[in-house]
Amino acid sequence: MTGLRVLVIDDEPQIQSLLRIALGSAGYEVLPATTGRDAIRLAASAAPDAIILDLGLPDLDGKEVLRDIRAFSKVPIIVLSARDRESEKVAALDLGADDYMEKPFGMGELLARLRTAARHAARAAGMVTRVEIGDLVIDLDKRLVLRAGVQVRLTPKEYDLLAILARNAGRVVTHRQILTAVWGPAHHDDTQYLRVFIGQLRSKIEPDPNQPTLIRTEPGAGYRFAETDT
Amino acid sequence: MADPRDNDKRPDPDALLALSDREGRGDARRGRLKIFLGAAPGVGKTFAMLQAAVRLQDEGQDVVIGLVETHGRAETEALIGGLEVLPRRKMTYRGVDLEEFDIDAALARRPGLLVVDELAHTNAPDSRHPKRWQDVKELLGAGIDVWTALNIQHLESLADVVSNITGISVRETVPDTILRTASDVVLVDITPDELIARLNAGKVYLPETARRATDNFFTTRNLTALRELALRQTADRVDDQMTEFLRQKAIEGPWGASERLLACIGPDKASELLVRKTSRLANSLNASWIAVHVAQPDRDSPDADRRSAEILKLAETLGAETVRLTSSDFTTDLLRFVRKENVTQILIGRSRAGALGHLFGRSLSDQLVRKARDIGVHVVPAVEEDAARPKLWRAPPRTGLGRDAFAALVSTAGAVLVGMVASHFLKLPNLSMVFLVAVLGCAASLGTRAAVFAALLSFVAYNFFFIEPIYNLSIAKPHELFALLIFLFVAVLTGSLTGRVRDQAQTALNRTLATQALFEFSGKLSAASTSEAVLWATVTQVHAILGGKAILLMPSDQELAALAAWPPDTLVDPAELTAARWALDKAEVAGWQTATLPAVRYRFQPLSTPRRVVAVLGYEPLDKTHPLTPDAELSLNAIAEQAAVAIDRVQLVDDAVKAAAFQENENVRDALLSSLSHDLRTPLASIIGAASTLRQVHDLPADQRQDLLLTIDQEAGRLSRFVGNLLDMSRIESGAVKVKRDWVDVADAIRSAVERLLTSQPGRATRVSIAPTLSFIRGDQELLMQIVYNLLDNAHKYGGEGEVSIHARDEGKDVVISVTDEGPGIKPADLERVFEKFYRAGGADRRKPGTGLGLSICRGLVAAMGGTIKAESPAQRRRGTRIVVRLPAAELPPDMRGQA
Repeated sequence: MTGLRVLVIDDEPQIQSLLRIALGSAGYEVLPATTGRDAIRLAASAAPDAIILDLGLPDLDGKEVLRDIRAFSKVPIIVLSARDRESEKVAALDLGADDYMEKPFGMGELLARLRTAARHAARAAGMVTRVEIGDLVIDLDKRLVLRAGVQVRLTPKEYDLLAILARNAGRVVTHRQILTAVWGPAHHDDTQYLRVFIGQLRSKIEPDPNQPTLIRTEPGAGYRFAETDT
Repeated sequence: MADPRDNDKRPDPDALLALSDREGRGDARRGRLKIFLGAAPGVGKTFAMLQAAVRLQDEGQDVVIGLVETHGRAETEALIGGLEVLPRRKMTYRGVDLEEFDIDAALARRPGLLVVDELAHTNAPDSRHPKRWQDVKELLGAGIDVWTALNIQHLESLADVVSNITGISVRETVPDTILRTASDVVLVDITPDELIARLNAGKVYLPETARRATDNFFTTRNLTALRELALRQTADRVDDQMTEFLRQKAIEGPWGASERLLACIGPDKASELLVRKTSRLANSLNASWIAVHVAQPDRDSPDADRRSAEILKLAETLGAETVRLTSSDFTTDLLRFVRKENVTQILIGRSRAGALGHLFGRSLSDQLVRKARDIGVHVVPAVEEDAARPKLWRAPPRTGLGRDAFAALVSTAGAVLVGMVASHFLKLPNLSMVFLVAVLGCAASLGTRAAVFAALLSFVAYNFFFIEPIYNLSIAKPHELFALLIFLFVAVLTGSLTGRVRDQAQTALNRTLATQALFEFSGKLSAASTSEAVLWATVTQVHAILGGKAILLMPSDQELAALAAWPPDTLVDPAELTAARWALDKAEVAGWQTATLPAVRYRFQPLSTPRRVVAVLGYEPLDKTHPLTPDAELSLNAIAEQAAVAIDRVQLVDDAVKAAAFQENENVRDALLSSLSHDLRTPLASIIGAASTLRQVHDLPADQRQDLLLTIDQEAGRLSRFVGNLLDMSRIESGAVKVKRDWVDVADAIRSAVERLLTSQPGRATRVSIAPTLSFIRGDQELLMQIVYNLLDNAHKYGGEGEVSIHARDEGKDVVISVTDEGPGIKPADLERVFEKFYRAGGADRRKPGTGLGLSICRGLVAAMGGTIKAESPAQRRRGTRIVVRLPAAELPPDMRGQA
């Protein structure tokens, strides 16, 4: 039993009961909320460890709920929605959602994402300085990347790109977030930089650049660095 | 001249037709018009009319007052009290509140009988028709009976007589045809003394403006004259009716003289007067009359044509038949027409004579008198126009006069120079030939007028420079004088003949060009396959031939929409739209220079085919001060006719295509319904079956429970993909798919798709080979991934157990992605059909589960990204299918090139 408290915000009783059973059996404590206002109140008063949020709510739009909660809390939020439009997905991620899953969803996948999000939140309390995955080591203090003990030569931009992905390992980082952080706010639409630099980065750090496992493409949304070992 | 009608005892069809027109027995029943005619204001027309109306209502008829001014008179108001009165149309014009007769309300109410006072009234600006009689005409056309009142002075043909008698000009006139087509005319008559007594007793209302003229107008002399006019008019009518009655019943003569007059008009000043005179004469003789304009192509300028058209129009309002003849031999052709039409008398103006004719003292009227023999010819003297009357006729702008004079001067000067030089070197017996050359040169290049100028100038110059004593206009030897006169005669004659030939050639050329243009236009129209092409061809053609602006409006969803215009920024305002609407609804010309809404900029011409009016052509000429020339009108009509037929044709084709598309939609809907019922119900049945088994049977062995749970899982996944496909398809079809123009890493998209397929349907491995230096494309990475996913999904589904491979490479300027399976392949005939919605390989019974949407979604998405997709089969060794997608490769921007 993890004992972690999850706030489930969804107005459909079937989904609520499904999640109550599934999450409950995985050891989570489930707090149900069926309206946006209830959800914001509970997020503030009940101090959940993670939030699962549906975007279609009877009173408020889920994105507003997301924005409101983000105003006072860094709790991991996973959006779970039947809206499969890319723009919705990106908007939610840009508003600070940690992850996004489309309905219908696989329960195993949801539990995995939930674990990642929770772990990430626990880790974010202290600043990440070192990321290790397989034989790849990224030392964020020394701006050093080692592969099997050998230094990988990266250009400054390639390094910045890798750093923002690695700091958010396991989570989706949207195109806009990457471009703004690495190239500056003026370039938030210049996805051609991303396409080229991601390709170069993969060829330098991936064991098989044709089957990338470290930097995964999240179609239409952004990129996700593989979950780290630590 | 024997008229065949005289020998025939059958009723005369013309007479019957006129009767049915008047009596409203035609196909669409016309309303009957009753006019209460008076000699002057105050005779009691309105009162008589209302009394009669009340009587009719008492008999149970549906009587409504459209508009009657009571001027506060109690007895009149009392009469109106018992009748239904239509509300008036209120409007504000330049800050003044106006009330007008509301024709739309009247048409909507459709009373059995409508009473509308003051037939000669001029409507407020912005009304549908400028005159009330036009309103009445429309009401009659709509089958409503109308009673109205009219003073004799307002009758068009009598307007100038009344002006002469009373000294007061009449502005508001009503065409004689209105009185003639009235079913009944009631004369409301009181004696002049009685009327003057009523006037003095204050019982006659007169508007303020008229009151000033009262002293001059209401004299016994004037009133007697007007009364006589009114009485005679009514008597003529009664006579007419009697004659017509006899003709209808085929009663043999005597029918009276049966005179038929013809006014031969031209563009000159006298013609307007001639027309009025003929009209009066025809009335007093109780005869019908024709106004004829004989156009002489080699003589008449466009200005002259226009003036003749104006005069013909006037004649029409005065009750004439109007005819345009084209002839090069005036007298012969006119007389041929005269005999054909059984004309008994011709009226012609004295000034109808050509320039040459005058020279020889042979005016056209003289020729006509000589050749007419049995037909009376009245030569009407040209009289200076009465300055008080508004001018119909305008002085022609003398374009080209200066040019002609200048050319004549230059060529004569040239001749003088040549003559001087020539005579310096050799003694020529007669230098006049040199001048003759100058005259003929002018004639050939500029026409008759320039030639005559040149001849006269040459005459003077020759005398001055070359005839002894030189530099002097006097002539020493008599034989020189004779030679000089001969020269003048020869010069003028040859010059004008050559000029005439040249003018005729020019006219012929113009006509040929116009015909050619029309011919080319019809070629363009028959080549046009869309109505848009036809519309554009039409407006540009109008603009090219006539200048000005052209706009085409077509009805769509109850509205008239402007669909094409040239110049393209041409617009119509709401008032113009109303005029266009009118043209469409009534199939009549409306707008500028017409009887309906003439204040708007455009003339709206309905484009009609025998079946319907397909569109309205609006034309705004460059010069709005003159009406259209007959030539322009002809061109416009020809264009309108051709365009109407072409639009109709294209629309018929469109309708057929739409019907076919509708059928296609029906088929697709059927396929969708059968697909939905099968593909939704099958997985649902499995899920419900498995779930209910699990709930009801408690002692199932663990492995069977797992089987059922797996079924639920798999079938739900299938259902989910199906719904996803349906959603995608409907998004593509509704245009809701927004394609980004982003940089797309094709390799990345392919890998994502392969991975997604592996997650959603484990065990479906794909062999991937991607060229290492694969180009980027511009498009939408997510959509590309979806395309690849669908292709792979499809290949696995139909490829049997064989391997599925995906390959991507650059080929020329394209990125080519191909997905190959090892399945049975597709028959050549079906290679294109696989991309159709709901097409599924195999017969209905051995179909694989699926929506039949995968490939058609792919085709939609590929097209949205500017690429192509096709199927090839067999892919290898007589087996397998290969789907090939080509997308245009994108070059990286310069600042990125070094990086990649």
